[in-house]
Order: sequence, then structure tokens, then C-alpha cells
Amino acid sequence: MRLNRLLTDIWERRELLWILVLRNLKIRYKNSALGFFWSLLTPLVMILIYAVFARILRFNEGQPWYLQMLVTGIVVWQFLSTCLNDSLSAVGGNTNLVKKTSFPRIILPLSNVAANLINFMLTLVVLIVYLLAVGLRPACLLGLPLVLLTHAALCLGLALIISSANVYFRDTEHIVGVSTLAWFFLTPIFYEAERQLAFMPENMRWMIYLNPMTGTVAAYRFIFMSLPTAGAPGMAISAAVCWGVLLIGVVVFQKAQRYFGDVL
Amino acid sequence: MSAEHAIVVDGVTKEFLIRQSGTMTLKSAVIERFMGRKRYQRTLLALDSVSFSVRKGETLGIIGANGAGKSTLLSLITGTMLPSAGTIRSSGSVSSLLELGAGFHPDLTGRENVFLYGAIMGLTREQMKQRFDAIVAFAELSDFIDQPVKHYSSGMYVRLGFAVAVEVNPDILLVDEVLAVGDESFQRKCIAKMEEFRREGRTMLIISHDIPTIQAISDRILFLDHGKVAGLGDPSEITEGYRSASRSKLAKSSEREWGSGEITIQDVTIRGGDGPAEDFSFGDEMVIDIAYEAKEPVARPVFGVAIKDVKGATMFGTNTQIEGTTIERVEGKGRIAVRFDNLALAGGTYLISLSVHSEDHRTNYHRVDNRYPISIQAPKSFEGVHLSTEWKVQK
Repeated sequence: MRLNRLLTDIWERRELLWILVLRNLKIRYKNSALGFFWSLLTPLVMILIYAVFARILRFNEGQPWYLQMLVTGIVVWQFLSTCLNDSLSAVGGNTNLVKKTSFPRIILPLSNVAANLINFMLTLVVLIVYLLAVGLRPACLLGLPLVLLTHAALCLGLALIISSANVYFRDTEHIVGVSTLAWFFLTPIFYEAERQLAFMPENMRWMIYLNPMTGTVAAYRFIFMSLPTAGAPGMAISAAVCWGVLLIGVVVFQKAQRYFGDVL
Repeated sequence: MSAEHAIVVDGVTKEFLIRQSGTMTLKSAVIERFMGRKRYQRTLLALDSVSFSVRKGETLGIIGANGAGKSTLLSLITGTMLPSAGTIRSSGSVSSLLELGAGFHPDLTGRENVFLYGAIMGLTREQMKQRFDAIVAFAELSDFIDQPVKHYSSGMYVRLGFAVAVEVNPDILLVDEVLAVGDESFQRKCIAKMEEFRREGRTMLIISHDIPTIQAISDRILFLDHGKVAGLGDPSEITEGYRSASRSKLAKSSEREWGSGEITIQDVTIRGGDGPAEDFSFGDEMVIDIAYEAKEPVARPVFGVAIKDVKGATMFGTNTQIEGTTIERVEGKGRIAVRFDNLALAGGTYLISLSVHSEDHRTNYHRVDNRYPISIQAPKSFEGVHLSTEWKVQK
């Protein structure tokens, strides 16, 4: 059981993982007067900006809770996009550690994703408070850990692939930038999943859930806003893709990390 | 792997692929794969079937010229690289000093970096807390430990790096070129610490260019030359081999030879008290035996000798004319010898140059610069040529 072995290795270096997570968070808010409060302030400011523009531009007038739906979608998306962005330098930015010391390399991207997860959870607190304040009722917060974990699995899987690819290929950064942008618009964030479904023949509608973010965003909207989902099969497909990406990521990374020391 | 061995290196080869042009991109990888276009690549053989083992509690010194594969070997043992062929097995925790303070993050403080390194070594925060004071004391950094390490001087960086690596109490300590940095008092402290390590029965692998120190501290020495094991065994024996190899390399690199050729220096033997020698002690006798050949008769030639240090400074130079030895005429083959009664030179490597030229110095018949290396061991650490001195303290 090589996976078992990997988990044991990571567990043995949990202290290192924790220190790297703290380092990530610390460096992010270093030299800023408000420090940690930025992680609460940023989403608040973002909600405010979208609220003002939605009012001025009058888009989707009449659709109930459009602004809240939009903000939820963007907050959820941001966790993924910061993970993808940070993963570019997860290994390459720690050349010193990789070339000179020995530890399970997977801890580097893992610590990035974990730091972003902590940040994301703080943002979610702000979001939930906001949604409660405007009168929305969450459906089942008990399901949140499961959704969070599945979402994080997707982020980690992609972070593993990108962080190892960026060691070998210098154009990874550009590919990630362009694909992330395309992916953002393919995911129902500015719009509801039903709009996409309308384009699809009945028997092919399940395919939109092959985009794991479609199901993920819908799941958060269901939990926080009680917006209806497209049903269990679609959500299951998205969740399966998330965990599948993690599995592929682990395999790719473990193969790639063998030669990090040579290439860096 | 038997229980008495700490490290077993078995047939280890390490190759590096060196790309001749450009960086690797996903685009180029795809093009190479599908279009069959291959950019020119070169392999560099850093280590070539190296095998040896280190016993528990043994101190192994590793010497060799730059690029001989010493650091690659330590990287492989640390586990930051994998061998292309062969296996490396080690038992116990390995703490490595591949460059001092490696792995320190410039934006973090000294304190944070100490805990980071401890965590890399697999120690818990509690264990590091117990060692923290000893680390700071050893590194002499109590005033700076909460400053980001990017503000440290290189000496401070090195001190902290060494202190952390030894205080995490590894079973095996790998040290790469530590003795070359830091001031003298810190070097002494490092050596004392390494001696302590040795007494405690821990295993150490040390790379250094400081041959006398490594010879003193090691139980055995491994001599690497172009990625191959050129010698392994008794420190004084191996360092001797290394010294003579690097001496002849030094002589080869700075050697020059020219002349008009009326007289040529053919064969040179350098002898000590009991036969041909390259190694001398301070105050020894040295004889240079020169066999020459004059193709045509030459009147009043002058033979000269010079001794230079490795930096090219002349320590001493003279010739037959200066010393009042007149050679009326040479023809055909002949021999001439010069004897030094008392080699009063500082310890180190020297290169001997020989020449033969005309009486008026206008024609150089033959001149051989820096071809003949010798080394001198001196009991005292004076510099240059030892002149007779007497100190008198006056009130």
C-alpha cells in the first residue's frame, strides 16, 4: 500500500506541514497594517462592490437573490483560483528546501492548499453572516464539511498537477492562466445552471456536471441559500470528478517529484 | 545491510541531462514527442558506479577536486536526488549541511527558521524548544534570533545553520564544506563539536578542501576523481595520493615551456636525503638533478632555478652566474645538479621552474616554468621564506 505509506509520511511530518501553513498565512499578511483582518475585509468589500454594480447596471432584475447567488459563486470560485495560482510556485518557489533537505515533497502543495482552505473558511463565515443578515436561511449546514472536503480535494488534485508541471515546463503559468479564465465562464457563477441545461438535449444534461465546479457551486448554494440543486445524480458526478482529480494528482506528483532535485 | 553499517552505497551512478539550448516548455515537449524533433542534449556523468560503506560511528572524509561528484554524492545520501543506477541504504535520521543554512527562508526570523528546520528533520515543537537555547548559544546569535535571516551576515547564517544541524541530534551528520566559511574561532568550535560527535559514536560524512583538518578528523577518507572512487582508506595515505594528484594537476595548468633549443633540459630528478621525493619537511635538503643536451657547442651558458608558490609569487630564484659558477662550454649530453641545504619555506605546495640561457641573458635556450611540484610541511606557521630572527623585549 503505497498510499498508506504516503499518508504515514505526511503524518510524521505534520509539524512541518503546520509550520509551512503558518508561513504561508504569515507571509500573505506580512507588512500589512490590518494583517489577518484582510481575510475578512476582502470578501466584505467584494460583496459591497457587486451590490453597487448590480444595482446600477440593473442586471437580472426581478430574479430573486441574484446578488447573493453571484457572491456565493465568486467566493467559492476564489478558493479554487487562489489554489491554482499559488500552486505554480509551491515547489519552484522552495528550491532551497527541495534541493537541500529531504521530506515528503507533497507537503509543499498540500500546505498551500491548507492555508487557502483556512482563509476560505474565514471568508465563508463572513458570507454566512451576510446571507443570514439579508434574510436567507441555510438548508443544512451539517452537509458543509463534506462539500468543503470534496472542494478541497479538487483544489489539491489540481495544485499537485500544476506544481509538478511547473517544475518541468516553463509555460505552465500561461496555460493555467488562460484555462482558469475559460473555466470560470463555463461554470454557472454569473448565471444559474438551468441556463446551461437549456442548451443541452435531455439525455445529455448530466454532462454539465463533469465540470466538478458546477456541482460544487450548486452544493454551496443549496447549503447556504436553500437554492434547489439539479438532483443527486449530477452532484454525485461532480463529487466523483473532484476525488478522481485528487487521485490523478497524487499519482502524477509522486512520479514527478522523483526528479525535482535534478531539474530545479 | 548489516547492523554495523550506517550507510551502504552500492554501484551508484548519477547522470544529469543537460539541455543545450533553451528551457523546456510544454509546447516544446509536445513538439519533440510528436514531430520527432529532438533538441541536442548532453549527459553529464557526475558519479560512476561508486560503492562504499560507512560503519556506525565512523567519520568518513570525502575529498576530490571541484566537480569530482562530492556534493552530488551527499545529495544522493540526503535523498534530495535519486541515483540513476545503484542503491543507497542508510539507517537512522540524516541531518545534512549541504551548504550551510540551506532551507532557511529569508523572510522568516532566525527563531522561525530553527523550528522550520527541526520540523523538516521530523522533530516536534516540544523537542525543538528543549534544544532552542543550546542552538542560539552555540550560534552566538541571542541578539539577532528574532530578526529575519535576510538581514544576517553570511557568518551569522553559517553559524545558525551549523548549530541547528548538529543540535537536532541526527544519527548521521553530512557536512559539506563547512570548514571553509566562518571565522577562525567558529571553525575551531565546529571542529570541537565534530570531535564531540565522533566521541559519542555518531556517523559523519565530511566534505572539505581543508586537507589537514579532514585528515585529522576522519577515520577513513574517500577520494573521488571525476565521479569515480580513486581511493578509500587510511587518511594519511589517501590524502598523500590526493595531494600528489592535485599537485601534478596544478603544475600542468600553469606549466609553460619555450626556448631557442641550442640547449634543452631533458630529464629532471628532484631528490631528498634518501632518493627521489616530492614531499619535504621544513629545513630538509633538496637536490635537483638536471640532464641536458646541447645540439651544438655553446659557450658560457647560465643555468637558473626558481621556486614559486601556488599563487605564482617567486619565493627564491638564482642562477649559476649569480652564484659564481662559470660553465665554460657545453656540448652533447651532460648533467648539472643544484643542492638546497635548507628548505626554509612555509608549509604548502611550490612549483619549481628551470632555465638555461646565454651569458648576456639575450637568448633563452630552454625554459620550463612551473613543471616540477613539491610540497613542504612546516611545524611553524610563518609565511614565505624563514629568515633567522630574534625577538628582544625592551623596556
